[in-house]
Amino acid sequence: MTSFGTALREAGMLLVAAAALGFIYTAAMEKGLFGTQRPGIASSLQTSANAPVMVSPDSAKLFFDSGDALFVDSRHAYDYNLGHIKGAINLPLAEYAEKKGTVSQVPKDRLIIIYCDGADCNSSIELAARLFLDGYINVKIFFGGWGEWKAKNLPIEKSAK
Amino acid sequence: MKPLLSNDYLVLLTRAFLGLLFIVVSLEKIVEPAAFAQSIANYKIVGPPLTVVLATVLPWLELLCGFALLFGIFLRGSSLLLSGMLVVFTAGVISALLRGLDIACGCFTQDPSVGKIGWMKVLQNGTLLVLSVFLYFSSSVRFSISQYLRTRPLE
Repeated sequence: MTSFGTALREAGMLLVAAAALGFIYTAAMEKGLFGTQRPGIASSLQTSANAPVMVSPDSAKLFFDSGDALFVDSRHAYDYNLGHIKGAINLPLAEYAEKKGTVSQVPKDRLIIIYCDGADCNSSIELAARLFLDGYINVKIFFGGWGEWKAKNLPIEKSAK
Repeated sequence: MKPLLSNDYLVLLTRAFLGLLFIVVSLEKIVEPAAFAQSIANYKIVGPPLTVVLATVLPWLELLCGFALLFGIFLRGSSLLLSGMLVVFTAGVISALLRGLDIACGCFTQDPSVGKIGWMKVLQNGTLLVLSVFLYFSSSVRFSISQYLRTRPLE
């Protein structure tokens, strides 16, 4: 089975070349592993008393039932239209600059609860940070997000269109 | 099966298709490793350190294998690697589907609006896997650089 040996050796060389190119490229372009996008905003939040905090699914449900909270969905509009927490508005993190007018009528001290897909998305945290820096002082993050809400069969709705 | 495996034109067509496909889909991942890392993380299979390594290396591996197939260098190695990658990717998608994850594939594009993973994706990957395994076992090396180098008259 020498041809398999050849294939393995060639595969090994391709793998080494890909690894070298990948690390050199990301290092040179300061992307991915060598990117600088992470720490900035998030660490500045830890120092402030009114900084956004995480809420559990149960407290998210309580806030929802109280009717005082504004739920904000930070996911892509496509996902939002497929289904979202009942009454939530959509403010995709990626389009924050263009769409932040959506919340311009919301009082700065209104309780805002932000969520995204679930435990593996960070857009709720990022969006909470942006809103907080824009002066909203009562922002909370429902980190379990859409996944947990749906799993608990809590009220949802789809977009009309 | 033998005539198919040694059909020069069929092999060339398959190489060109798979090669171009993997070159094209690797480009967005190369340019946006962070978005690709997020796509990998969504599968909840590997931890953060491995996610970063995969997001850094995999796109380049797809690109190199794509070029290798297209030009006919390291044909066996690249089709072996592609087959391996496709098996792993497909296993990832199946495992995510079985766990009920509602995530975008992150396969061809990092744009979540393109759609979620589904059994269609498994079928699609399965087809690519068949093509890639076909190339691995094919005996045709016509139209390839390695063949050119081998048969080039020495002086």
